[in-house]
Amino acid sequence: MYIINKSQVLDIARELQKEHQVYGPVMEKETRQVMFVAVDDIAELDLSAPIPAVPPKHAVFPHFERIMSYTYDRRNKKVEIKPDYDEKPKALFGLRSCDLTGIQCLDRFYLGQEFVDEVYRNHRKKMFIVTNTCNAPFRQCFCVCTDSGPSAHEGYDLNLTDLGDQYLVEAGSEQGKKMAERLSLSKADDSHRKRKEAIVDKSVSMFDSIAKDNKAWISRVVNRVTTGLIEEKVWEYIGDQCIECGACAFVCPSCSCFNIVDPVTGIDSADRMRTWDSCSYEGYSRMAGGHNPRKPVEDRRNKRFFCKLSYSQSKKYLRPGCVGCGRCAWVCPGDIGLPNVVTYIRREIQE
Amino acid sequence: MNYKSGICTFCGTGCGHLLDVRGNAVCGVFPLQNHPVSKGRLCVRGWNVHELLNTPEKITTPLIRKNGALAEASYDEAVSYLVDNLTKYKKNSSDEIGFLASPRSSNEENYLLMKLARSVVNTNNISLDSDPGHRLSLDVMHRGTGMAGMLGSLEEIAKADFLLVVGIDITKQNPIIGSEIHMAARAGAKLVVIDTRNTQIAKLSSRFLQIRPGAYRIAMAYLAKVLVNENLADTDFIKKYTDGYDGFASSLASLKEGDVAAKTGIALGPLQEVARDLAGSNAAMVFFSSGISGFDRDTISYIYNLFVLAGKIGREGCGVNPLTGINNLQGSYDMGIAPDLLTGFQPLSDAAVQDKFNREWGVKLNSGPGKSVYELMTGGNRLKALVVVDHDESIIRNVDEISAMDFVAYIGAFQNNFMNYAHVVLPIAAYVETDGTYTNTERRVQLSKKKVEPPKDILPGWKLIADIAFRAGAKWNYGSPADVMNEIATLTPNYSGISHEKLQGTFGIKWPGGAPRFSLEGTRRKVSFVPTGTNFAVPVASEEYPILLSIGESQHYWHQNNLMKKTAIPLREYNATLLLYPQGYVAISPQNARELNVRDRFPVKVVSPYGSMEAMVQVTDKVKPNTAYVAYFVHEMVTRFFLEHKDVLKRGEDATIPVRIVKV
Repeated sequence: MYIINKSQVLDIARELQKEHQVYGPVMEKETRQVMFVAVDDIAELDLSAPIPAVPPKHAVFPHFERIMSYTYDRRNKKVEIKPDYDEKPKALFGLRSCDLTGIQCLDRFYLGQEFVDEVYRNHRKKMFIVTNTCNAPFRQCFCVCTDSGPSAHEGYDLNLTDLGDQYLVEAGSEQGKKMAERLSLSKADDSHRKRKEAIVDKSVSMFDSIAKDNKAWISRVVNRVTTGLIEEKVWEYIGDQCIECGACAFVCPSCSCFNIVDPVTGIDSADRMRTWDSCSYEGYSRMAGGHNPRKPVEDRRNKRFFCKLSYSQSKKYLRPGCVGCGRCAWVCPGDIGLPNVVTYIRREIQE
Repeated sequence: MNYKSGICTFCGTGCGHLLDVRGNAVCGVFPLQNHPVSKGRLCVRGWNVHELLNTPEKITTPLIRKNGALAEASYDEAVSYLVDNLTKYKKNSSDEIGFLASPRSSNEENYLLMKLARSVVNTNNISLDSDPGHRLSLDVMHRGTGMAGMLGSLEEIAKADFLLVVGIDITKQNPIIGSEIHMAARAGAKLVVIDTRNTQIAKLSSRFLQIRPGAYRIAMAYLAKVLVNENLADTDFIKKYTDGYDGFASSLASLKEGDVAAKTGIALGPLQEVARDLAGSNAAMVFFSSGISGFDRDTISYIYNLFVLAGKIGREGCGVNPLTGINNLQGSYDMGIAPDLLTGFQPLSDAAVQDKFNREWGVKLNSGPGKSVYELMTGGNRLKALVVVDHDESIIRNVDEISAMDFVAYIGAFQNNFMNYAHVVLPIAAYVETDGTYTNTERRVQLSKKKVEPPKDILPGWKLIADIAFRAGAKWNYGSPADVMNEIATLTPNYSGISHEKLQGTFGIKWPGGAPRFSLEGTRRKVSFVPTGTNFAVPVASEEYPILLSIGESQHYWHQNNLMKKTAIPLREYNATLLLYPQGYVAISPQNARELNVRDRFPVKVVSPYGSMEAMVQVTDKVKPNTAYVAYFVHEMVTRFFLEHKDVLKRGEDATIPVRIVKV
């Protein structure tokens, strides 16, 4: 544990910038919307900004990216495939704990199973992560219900906590420790740790009064979602409100589904593009030949919440798929962000 | 910060977005949370706009048709070829040349195209093709209130406690407006949907009345009649603010109440309750489509008069709201893209208006009224030359007339079927490659800033049109689209005070003068009831043609998918249905399917008195027995079936055709 003065906290990002592309929270000046973006000017970073509208997912899993190109040599009947990996080391600075949890879910999906996704691995492999404790929740937050905040437990290299005039800097890895030492940060003592604990406790206690938009007692519905006992009419009620925009998946820190398209670039060549996909789309679950096992929208909504809330899926992520950021409720043109869906299911249980 | 704020340019909602700009490419999109209309939401189209912007199907070079095939040409060659032809047809411009403008072009580009046509080529033959229905709405609103636009405000949907949605599949056409309505209903507003189909918004409503195709007019007239019969009309409001009530009352008197239930397929009780709910509400809004599936003038007039009768215009949370399906449809009319209109709905026939434009433009305008391109093509005279800008493919239904022309020019950013008929093609920059303003369905003028450089040697539309004018001898002097807007603002009372400088950093300014909605206070004149007809006939099925077919659009088959086809995710969604129904589908009820002995995806023939088409059936409980529905993206329909029904479609009647469906 170390201590850094508030005025110097961006020095960490400046040090990281020497070898990394730094990403962090920046407020867009005209619209005052906070986005988690790649930055060149470290002074733009704002650790006190509200939770970014966009999660950091795009740093490891871009909205739209070329992952390879291929050319076919007709005469020799040979195909040449060139992978297009983004190998530049990246540093995520000022990440909120829910968003770190999202990255951990993505890690388990892309790296933690028998097949390792090389495109993702290249985005991720030289990464340095600096998290930022939430001293107070935001209106839409419910990370306390999903065990993903308000302060990160693991998976970071450095974790920052605002103690007032200073930041407490906790190292969560060897490279985190080295960074702290390279910056010659002074050591924190037990009183600092206690102050952090008090801050986190206070933050948790403020959820009742501040985080009023969403309540999601997800533990209550996990069993119900896992066993599939929820009545069809509840899913229909949810499906009727879905306009199939895809937003919930796009803003979800842990949603990993993608689509592949191969735009033709020449007579004998093509690119392979990977784009975000969403289970709300009808084409998402359509199979070759036209059969669609999840044709009605409510069946696809059902799938989404199975992914976020079922025990079977949690076994893959080693935690629930929902990280409690509340963004899906923000962007949903219906009224079926995850917290509301939990409410609808709980209502059914009570009935 | 690589995210740059902008305006989504698919539909007329005008949602705010942030585009992820890296280098000279747009790599992603994110909704804008503070935008007053979209409030951090986008639909499937908006969430994938970057895919369109990255399409390889762009026009990359000028092309000239040589020996039957389009061949690459230099810019000078192509633009001179175009200018030579404009000069050639200018001699007899009123008959021989037409300009087909785009409801997607920015206000600045449309204004300059309009100025080019009228002041340089000396013709008033300029029109839009897509969604001519919006003109009918504008005519009605203008005649009634003097304001040629939506009377309410999208921001105030949450303030209404009664919402009426008539004949529009709103969560598909304008999904974010549909969302606002849904949210208002969840917060307690009464949501009533009257539609031929059980749409998503119908499912979300507190009351859904499934109406027989073509019976909207009589239903609206009956609602008004209930207000009169039960003394529920807002008489204070009518006395203080309106004129023309007597005329409307006499139209209503000729409505035979005995016919209503049979003609609409709805019992009188529920209709009466809707009328009472409307009258009893504090603030009420009505939404309907202003597109191809929109209403005829008389139906719109009844909707408008109904709301005037109930005193539900001119206040917060009130309004009659025709919704545009394309991003700058409203702005195109504002820019005078109509043979008889100059900017801001100023009539060309008004001598004072003509003088003003003559003075400002330094020309003597052709005062002949001009005709729409559609009229010119189908009206018997032979149009010889046509200039088309960035267009949907619906015009392909006039493919015979277009291929017979001596000269067709296509100007656009993306490849389009029009190129198959063009003699010269000129590329222009995409909307993110130049500045421009767009006016959404609620009259909100929004500035979209340049975010990336256009490809080398490709000019933005405004610059290309200015260059064409210059080469044709005009002395225009615009340094930027901002200069163009300054000129628009000088000539157009509605746009007075609007400039790029003022729009910069805002979420738009609503004309006139930033007014959130139509207001009773600022106007010099009274609000009028508009004249209404007394023809309450509804299309009738016969023994020979027992099924009433209506036409609409769907989310992923949006305006012939000209743009959707150039994306990945929306394309896949389009293909999902097209793979199931390769020739398109005609939706019929399970009962009709049983009678015909067909199941989903069985091929059928749809036969009308005028023609026929083959399609697969989609069996769905969304349509009532003995009604059917076709999404009009179906290529087969657009080219032939529509052609055979031009007159029927022109009549409006929410485009209803009695048909017979037979198994093949």
